[in-house]
Amino acid sequence: MLQATVAQAAVKMDEPELIRAAQRGDQRAFEQLVRLYDQNVLRLALNLLRSAEDANDVYQEAFLRVYKNLHTFRFDCSFHTWLYRIVTNLCLDALRKRRVRREENTVVETSEGVLDRMDTVEESRAHGDPQRQLLSRELQARIQKVLGELTPRERTVFEMRHYQGLRLRAIGELLGTSEEAAKNCLFRATQKMRAALGDFV
Amino acid sequence: MKCEDARDALPLFLYGELPFEDEEKVELHIDECAECRTALAKQQALFQAIDAGRMVPSDELLEDCRAELNERLGREGFGEQHEQGAGFWDKLRQGFTIHFHFAPGWAQVGGAVAMLALGFAAARVSPGSLGGPWTTAGMAEPMTSRVRYVEPTEGGRVQIVLDETRQRVLSGSIEDQSIQRLLLAAAKDPSDAGLRVESVDLLKNRPQSAEVRGALLYALQHDPNAGVRLKALDGLKEFANDPETRQTLTQVLLKDDNPGVRTEVIDLLIQHRTDSMVGVLQELMGKESNDYIRMRCRKALSEMNASVETY
Repeated sequence: MLQATVAQAAVKMDEPELIRAAQRGDQRAFEQLVRLYDQNVLRLALNLLRSAEDANDVYQEAFLRVYKNLHTFRFDCSFHTWLYRIVTNLCLDALRKRRVRREENTVVETSEGVLDRMDTVEESRAHGDPQRQLLSRELQARIQKVLGELTPRERTVFEMRHYQGLRLRAIGELLGTSEEAAKNCLFRATQKMRAALGDFV
Repeated sequence: MKCEDARDALPLFLYGELPFEDEEKVELHIDECAECRTALAKQQALFQAIDAGRMVPSDELLEDCRAELNERLGREGFGEQHEQGAGFWDKLRQGFTIHFHFAPGWAQVGGAVAMLALGFAAARVSPGSLGGPWTTAGMAEPMTSRVRYVEPTEGGRVQIVLDETRQRVLSGSIEDQSIQRLLLAAAKDPSDAGLRVESVDLLKNRPQSAEVRGALLYALQHDPNAGVRLKALDGLKEFANDPETRQTLTQVLLKDDNPGVRTEVIDLLIQHRTDSMVGVLQELMGKESNDYIRMRCRKALSEMNASVETY
């Protein structure tokens, strides 16, 4: 339905118009709004959680919350900020629960080395990139291990800065903290990664 | 800047997140320090390695997520929350509001009665108080609404009072007194000639009841619809000898404006000829314009050895 109805939408609206239409109960507008952001939301959740299943859970919960609470959105901040605040909080919760469970079920060791379980996930492949080709599977496994050992906040800040390219100020706003606190998180994360991976590069 | 400080600052330096002054200090130090230039290169290589581990959701995963969201939104009742509270009357009221906004003159009608919808017009007697061996098939939603009263209120709004009639289905034997009372009431319903025809048609088979016969006589005399009068006449045929019935038939013969009814009446009356009929038939000959009726009348008078005209 998402695909069909969005395709049927004859009139392209800009984001504020979409939001207002969705607030009035326009289903197609809501679906278009989802499509504006859902790929980035899924990518963020997938990279943070390293699990297709968990990423899907965050995706679902995030957009259901948007749906239920959209009427409270008053344009005090950008919709992007509002949405990502929801998504990052959900991801942080998921990471914290995972830390409590002491589970890391996305990366498993086999006789052939470390493999990623996520068969529905494609790693970006820089075909023809010599740097990419030189990296050993062991280094990649190590990177994932270190990322998994970061605290949820460090992991989230690192993800948003490194993979999502968000500025620390925006990250602080999303996480409800200061830019300085976000910077400290990022600093600690990079220090840990350098300490663990410095010998590999 | 010390090498240790510079190396700690390298990640933020690469991210472009250092304050302007710190960034300049790192740049100056790297220009002068070969070891820190090596550390910077290693940091860049590490970042590239991390970049390579970036995951991209497959199209399949994205479509699965979208499909599941679509399904869950459906379960949540997308759009319905905006309709909550908008029941039948809310929508009706909304419809009126919109209507009046476009036609404010309506609000000035005050007191006019407009039919919104006409369904089955039930008997004017409420069956609720009647007992009897009938079956009640159940109550239906309002079928008939009548605007009884309209009144302009503040803010350009309008208040409307509706009369509603609900349908109730009953079934039972024609012999049942309660059913007959409903039919008798329906036989006098002024708003629906079809209903009166059907009711009289049912009642005419039970003329033995004085109440039914009275209703048939009333219908024959007063019903504006000739079809109803003819049905009533059918029911009265076996009472053509009854004095009260004959008196009514005589009045109808002289007053009814429908030739079909007068024809039926004269045929019925002359089956039982009495001397009292001569004067009536002679009066009829003086005013009747229908040839068949005049012929029937003349023949009857002749057979009764009476003159056609009065002297």
